[in-house]
Amino acid sequence: MPDAPAIVVSGLRKSYGAFEALKGIDFEVAQGEVFGLLGPNGAGKTTTVEILEGLRPRTSGEVRVLGFDPAHETAAVKDRIGVSLQATNLPEKIRVLEAAELFAAFYTRQTSIETLLKRLQLWDKRAAFYSTLSGGQKQRLALALAMVNDPQILFLDEPTTGLDPQVRLEIHTLIEELRDQRRTILLTTHYIEEAERLCHRVAIVDEGCIIAIGTPRELQQRILGHTRVEIECASPLPATPPNGWSAEFPLVFSDDRRQLSVAHPKPAQAVLELVKWVDACGAGLDDLHIRRPTLEDVFIQLTGKKLRD
Amino acid sequence: MINLRAYTAYTHSTLLLTMRDRAVLFFSYLFPLIFFIAFGEGLGAAQGAGAATQVIVMVLVLGVLGNGFFGGGMRATLERETGILRRFKVAPISPAPILVASIATGWVIYLPAVFLFFAIARWRYALPFPENWFSLLAFLFFGVIAFRSMGLIVSSVVNSMAESQIIIQLLYFPMLLLSGATIPLSVLPEWLQIVAQFLPATHLYLGMQGILMRNESALDQLPAIGALTLATIVCLFISVKLFRWEKDDRLKPSAKLWVAASLLPFLLIGGWQAYSLDNLRKTKIIDREQRRSLSWLIRDARVFIGDGEVLELGTVLVRGGRIEAVWPGRGPDPRDVRAELLEAAGRTLLPGLIDSWVRLPDDDSARHRALASLLYCGITGVAAGVDRPEFIAALAQQVRDGEVLGPEILSAAPPEPPAGLSLAAREWIDPAADPPLLLTRSLTQQILEPGYRAALTQQMRNWQDRPSLPAPDSAPNPPYSAAGEFQLPHGPSFHRQLQLMAAAGATPAELLRQATAGAAARFRRNDIGLIRPGAAADLLLVDGNPLDDISATERIVAVFSKGERVNRASLLDHE
Repeated sequence: MPDAPAIVVSGLRKSYGAFEALKGIDFEVAQGEVFGLLGPNGAGKTTTVEILEGLRPRTSGEVRVLGFDPAHETAAVKDRIGVSLQATNLPEKIRVLEAAELFAAFYTRQTSIETLLKRLQLWDKRAAFYSTLSGGQKQRLALALAMVNDPQILFLDEPTTGLDPQVRLEIHTLIEELRDQRRTILLTTHYIEEAERLCHRVAIVDEGCIIAIGTPRELQQRILGHTRVEIECASPLPATPPNGWSAEFPLVFSDDRRQLSVAHPKPAQAVLELVKWVDACGAGLDDLHIRRPTLEDVFIQLTGKKLRD
Repeated sequence: MINLRAYTAYTHSTLLLTMRDRAVLFFSYLFPLIFFIAFGEGLGAAQGAGAATQVIVMVLVLGVLGNGFFGGGMRATLERETGILRRFKVAPISPAPILVASIATGWVIYLPAVFLFFAIARWRYALPFPENWFSLLAFLFFGVIAFRSMGLIVSSVVNSMAESQIIIQLLYFPMLLLSGATIPLSVLPEWLQIVAQFLPATHLYLGMQGILMRNESALDQLPAIGALTLATIVCLFISVKLFRWEKDDRLKPSAKLWVAASLLPFLLIGGWQAYSLDNLRKTKIIDREQRRSLSWLIRDARVFIGDGEVLELGTVLVRGGRIEAVWPGRGPDPRDVRAELLEAAGRTLLPGLIDSWVRLPDDDSARHRALASLLYCGITGVAAGVDRPEFIAALAQQVRDGEVLGPEILSAAPPEPPAGLSLAAREWIDPAADPPLLLTRSLTQQILEPGYRAALTQQMRNWQDRPSLPAPDSAPNPPYSAAGEFQLPHGPSFHRQLQLMAAAGATPAELLRQATAGAAARFRRNDIGLIRPGAAADLLLVDGNPLDDISATERIVAVFSKGERVNRASLLDHE
């Protein structure tokens, strides 16, 4: 089934007593896709991922990972996936190579550990104790351990949380490489730019529900519709819009009529028309911005609250 | 399907990590070593195989407890608390390889300590290597895996390192103190000894003592091995059931009930022991073995060999229950022969006396008291006149094992004295003696409680139908007291018999020869009744020279029974 989705989730619910952590979640992840679950802490991302990894039972709903039900075919799922968890640790006195060999022994499928460690720039560190590794090296080792079985799906739970910006960049580059190799990756994050940069598609999760799903660009456009064009002039602009301007995209002026903003699906064309018009009016063009909405905007728009770091 | 590769890889990794952990090395080797040296020197392990064995058993038990609770329990808790186990949770393995690896590691880490301590014991205390290596290792194996499993149970129920520390200390110290490993069980009050039967470590200790002291095989320890194995299985099963990968996983309160099940094997065996008192018996035996194994150098004594020969000045070395050497003169330095010194200048050392006919009381406690009295008086062998010889065989075995303290029972004699009443018995029932002379002898005063002595005196005075005195016999050979007839006290009557026979004309030398080597020959025993290398260390040390004055045999300084210097002061306190 080369084209069957790698992950199918439908109507997934999870309750802890009276508390509903997941209130009905649906999504699919295609083979070769990098899919992001974006949301604040406590939104239900980790719960979702842990159900997919076979670590937690679900309350109701259907879940398939590579065609297996993780609740009942746990071993089959665990054997085929790779996982990098948040807040894990390794024994202080284990060497990098030993850790990789130990984990490799648990899986049916093998890959060359040497190649893997070289690719993650850990080969030179193979004899180092875990306790002597830097934060970035530890995270790279976590990725290496997640890939010792050449996994069909890679689950990365908050892969860059708590890392400094440079290390985060390093990890982003690695994940981009994996994306370019068409690996299937399910990534959770509460960093907007991480999702925008790495993911083919993103689902925004809040309070146990998916409130939006799509490519980062689709989400931006579907929610706010359009990119905003903003113009600033030296003198007030006339009250009448340019000839032939569609009433569908109302121009919004500031009180002194020197600033103008408009949301438009084709920002390049809008800029061209508006600049011609400002010039014709002799208002004197001071400044011009094209503001693409970010996922942050989307999130604020959808939930009315900010994503916390 | 069992992924064997996961088991071997995890075990390999756990072993590597354990060996890199300095704390483990400290608790497995250095800590017991310190104990070994401190107690070995303190208890005088050099002076007897018993003390050296006690020390080595203590150290091995200490190692098993530390290995199980600190090595197994604490480590598993630490790995969960620091998020290490969480990483393994997402791999396709069950808790089983992790638990099995912990147990296997425990055993591999423990094994070198066993060899290390036996090597040191051999070098420092001349303790021979155990003959039944295989049994010892097999038994230790069951011990280590059982305690390791118990450690894992602890780690599966606690919610933090602090909690695990508390619970482990609560288990570790009572087991260390009450199992017999550090404090001999025999000094504990009986109720505490029974409590100790419910502690897993007690079975470990007793089993190892049995194997090392008594040369028992692992098969003799089947009840203990059974309990340890059952504990291992139950604990492992529960550990898998209750296994938690993450510290956030909470234990259901009902799960804690499972832990009670892990105690079941020991409740069963403890209940059985409390009922059968089998181990209490074993405890006494172990204690006796230990006392018998000490070494003594009795120096500068007049030595009456037993066959009539006398060394006017001689020195005797007692080791491991036997006479090892006899030197004319002062003999070696006690430190050179690793023995405790007993100065005996002006004293006479004889083979323990043999009373060739006594009657033992039917009542258990009276019988034990009679045996104790005989030993108190330096009589280390008796022939017991009985109606039922099969009963005497069991008692003889108990005495041989050391469960009951008393003279060796050499023979079940016919129910009547061989040649009629002894001189001592005739004097005892003679209406002319009022009160009987024997009651005034100091040895009698020592063995009879004052109340009983008064009652006996009264009874003898009021005795209505005394048996008519039979005609005097020729002096019986070898001598006997007929103690037990007409409540004739056990022990002093034999000395009285010797005195009466001397008064009738026998020479002290001949009397003593008859009471020692002569009696031994009569019972076809060539290992008692003589002071010579290889003979059993049954000895009597008296003040003065009984060859001049036979009553010197009553002035007892020390009695040795099978190498044990009998604690005469406490002999009659209890039982």
